[in-house]
Amino acid sequence: MSAPERLDVTGLTVTHGAVRAVDSVSLTVHPGEVLVLLGESGSGKSTLARTVLGLPGRTARVTGSVALSGTELPTLGERALADIRGRRIGYVPQDPDAALDPLRRIGAQLVEVLLRHRVADGRRAARRAVPGLLDAAGLTDPERAARAYPHELSGGQRQRAAIALALACGPGLLVADEPTTALDALVRARVLDLLTASGASVLLVTHDIGAARRVADRVAVMHAGRIVESGPVERLLTAPEHPHAAALVAARPGGPR
Amino acid sequence: MRRYLLRRLLLAVPTLLGVTVVVFAAVALVPGDPVTAFLGPGAPAEARERLAERLGLGEPLPVRYGHWLWHALHGDLGVSVSAQRPVADLLGPALGQTLLLAGAAFLLVITGGTLLGALGAGRPEGRRARAGRAVSTLAVSAPQYSVALLLIAVFAVALRWFPAGGTRDLFTGGGPADQLHHLVLPAVAAALVPLGLTARVFGAALSSVLHSDLADGLRARGLRRAAVLRHCVHNASPALLTIGGLQLAYLLEGVVFVETLFAWPGVGRLLYDALTARDLPLVQGGVLLVAVAFVGVNIVVDTAHALVDPRLRGAL
Amino acid sequence: MSRRPPLSAYAAAALLLLAVAGPLLTPDDPDAGNLRERLLAPGSAGHPLGTDTQGRDVLSRLLVAAGPSLLGGLLPVVVATLAGGLLGIAAGLGGRTTENVLLRALDVLYAFPGVLLAITVATVLRPGLLATVVSLSVVLTPAVTRVAFTEVRRIRTAAFLEAARVSGAGAASVAVRQVAPVVAPVLLVYASSLVGLAVVYAAGLSFLGLGVPPPAAEWGAMLDELRPSLLTRPEVAVLPAVTILVVSVVFNCLGEALRRRAGGGHEVGRPPAVEAAR
Repeated sequence: MSAPERLDVTGLTVTHGAVRAVDSVSLTVHPGEVLVLLGESGSGKSTLARTVLGLPGRTARVTGSVALSGTELPTLGERALADIRGRRIGYVPQDPDAALDPLRRIGAQLVEVLLRHRVADGRRAARRAVPGLLDAAGLTDPERAARAYPHELSGGQRQRAAIALALACGPGLLVADEPTTALDALVRARVLDLLTASGASVLLVTHDIGAARRVADRVAVMHAGRIVESGPVERLLTAPEHPHAAALVAARPGGPR
Repeated sequence: MRRYLLRRLLLAVPTLLGVTVVVFAAVALVPGDPVTAFLGPGAPAEARERLAERLGLGEPLPVRYGHWLWHALHGDLGVSVSAQRPVADLLGPALGQTLLLAGAAFLLVITGGTLLGALGAGRPEGRRARAGRAVSTLAVSAPQYSVALLLIAVFAVALRWFPAGGTRDLFTGGGPADQLHHLVLPAVAAALVPLGLTARVFGAALSSVLHSDLADGLRARGLRRAAVLRHCVHNASPALLTIGGLQLAYLLEGVVFVETLFAWPGVGRLLYDALTARDLPLVQGGVLLVAVAFVGVNIVVDTAHALVDPRLRGAL
Repeated sequence: MSRRPPLSAYAAAALLLLAVAGPLLTPDDPDAGNLRERLLAPGSAGHPLGTDTQGRDVLSRLLVAAGPSLLGGLLPVVVATLAGGLLGIAAGLGGRTTENVLLRALDVLYAFPGVLLAITVATVLRPGLLATVVSLSVVLTPAVTRVAFTEVRRIRTAAFLEAARVSGAGAASVAVRQVAPVVAPVLLVYASSLVGLAVVYAAGLSFLGLGVPPPAAEWGAMLDELRPSLLTRPEVAVLPAVTILVVSVVFNCLGEALRRRAGGGHEVGRPPAVEAAR
């Protein structure tokens, strides 16, 4: 896998028509660090995560800077950006049902990504690499999972397959958008550990304080498109200063909803 | 997959039976003496007796239906009044011509429909997408006989690019190139309505897939535009197949007009002639054949649907 | 609702007006032939759209034909909407048996391509407007029934229906007071989208000799009459075909516009607001 990347977001604003989904946000993910972006639904945190990938939505207008280890992403063309997506930035979607192609086998989708980024040398090598990737994502019986269509797997297995896809090319930054909302508590913890075990820098977007407590190095709290408070996990979750951060922590005293 | 096909075939049996009931009942209900209706007024007494016996006119309707169905299942659809030949002998070669025409039209429908539908699917409110939708609305509204007449007037009579009808040139023709030359205008005339429908449905499906989380997920993997588009077209294709049955209905019913206007010797042309001559056995046989073909085609479409979408295989 | 009616609505209204007033506007006697003036080109003196094989004025015939031609398309839609609405409500509110029997029967009718079903029904009847109306009603009713049934099923569990049942209203009363007002607008929009198709079918049946018979003027019958002149006077022979095409486009655009306004509208893509909310 490649070295952990550094992500610098500076003065980022994303507007959909009249709506300011993200309002001059700045944040940094240091190499190897896990930054958890906490916020209620509608706070703009998902839009922020997707904008990092250059997928803010069709009608969005973006200003500000997103730099991946010094490379300014918004100024890159669609082609150069596509080379970075999946290769240097892995993306774990909120809903694996919507993000896995329902008509293609899991194995074939992994092979496609490996070949796209030239991580595997030829189709046969790519096929051979598939079971290992699924195994690393915690899927028991990876051979069977590779042959399966998404609808033949359980929700937890699907999310693991989506994580295998995100990690397939060994990205240095992982962007995960509420990766555990659809899962039950037991699977949730394991999936979270999986994300952080990869060694990549992680930007994890969630409203789950328990998730933050489990994996975060630092936490940033987002409200109405702005980051209202950020800091080390121990401090922020025990003694939040901003009223919104305090409300968030008080409302969900650890653990799942 | 085999089990899917088997169940789908079983499901078609009641539908097919219903189709035969409707076709039989329609002719059985023709007012007046059925023998005169079938044979025309001037038929010899011997022929009248034979037909009366064959139709089992003394028997109650369900028994007559049973007899008729039994004969039909053995390929015996009666004797054409106007041609004085077995209906099956007339329909056989005609079916080949109709399938050739419908097949060519279907090819146009699929290629033209997907291309027109894909036009501007990435920006559904953009100018290209609007233009595409306007063209497909026009295509959907164009009656096959109007299109056929206009095509003949422009491309056969005025410009002389294509022949006005028939399947081959009487003096020079007969080869595949000549056949193709004769096929172009009727195929276009038959294809236009289903092409417009396909474009509408496929365009809407593709556009919604292109703006779905799936498409964003594929882009997030770093797949290039062409690859994303390939996945999206694949995911939009079930919608294409769903409307497939409907399109084929249009093609199969359209052939009555298109074949008549282009003098194409298929089942549709035969039906037109039979209607003009009030040749009831031939009408009955022709309608039955097309309806059965239609049910068969729908089975093929459903099977193709299940082949494309693994989720459907267990569903039936 | 304050929006102006679409252009196609004006065009459709003009067509309907033409159907009523057509016989009053004819420049010439539509049935009087003149053997010395056969197959004149459009623009000839006294015959702006030319003459047919019997020397009759084509413009006059097209105008006179508007009434029966449009009636042949409109009446079946009215009949099918009423019949399909009733059947759909009956299937939706009746028991499981009623529902199953009705839906199976519809499946059989669906197995016929439309024109073939119309042909089958029309052969039983004597050629004429009645044959057109009956056969096309049979063709269109299954589709309307399905739309009505789907709509009834959508609201069947809705609270107000339950409330109506609990309050002791009979099935007929529920159907009339609660269900019909919900289903009717949906059916109206759907019916409007069928008119273009029905006009095309009606003319097609006349073309096949199953609808309005000659010498009465009807667009489909004129199509058949003028067909032999296609090679000699194509500019006249295509006129009925063009007329039907234009009428079909007008009614289809109207149906489309109504569907959009009824809120079925945005079939393509996702409204930007949804995307922004994420």
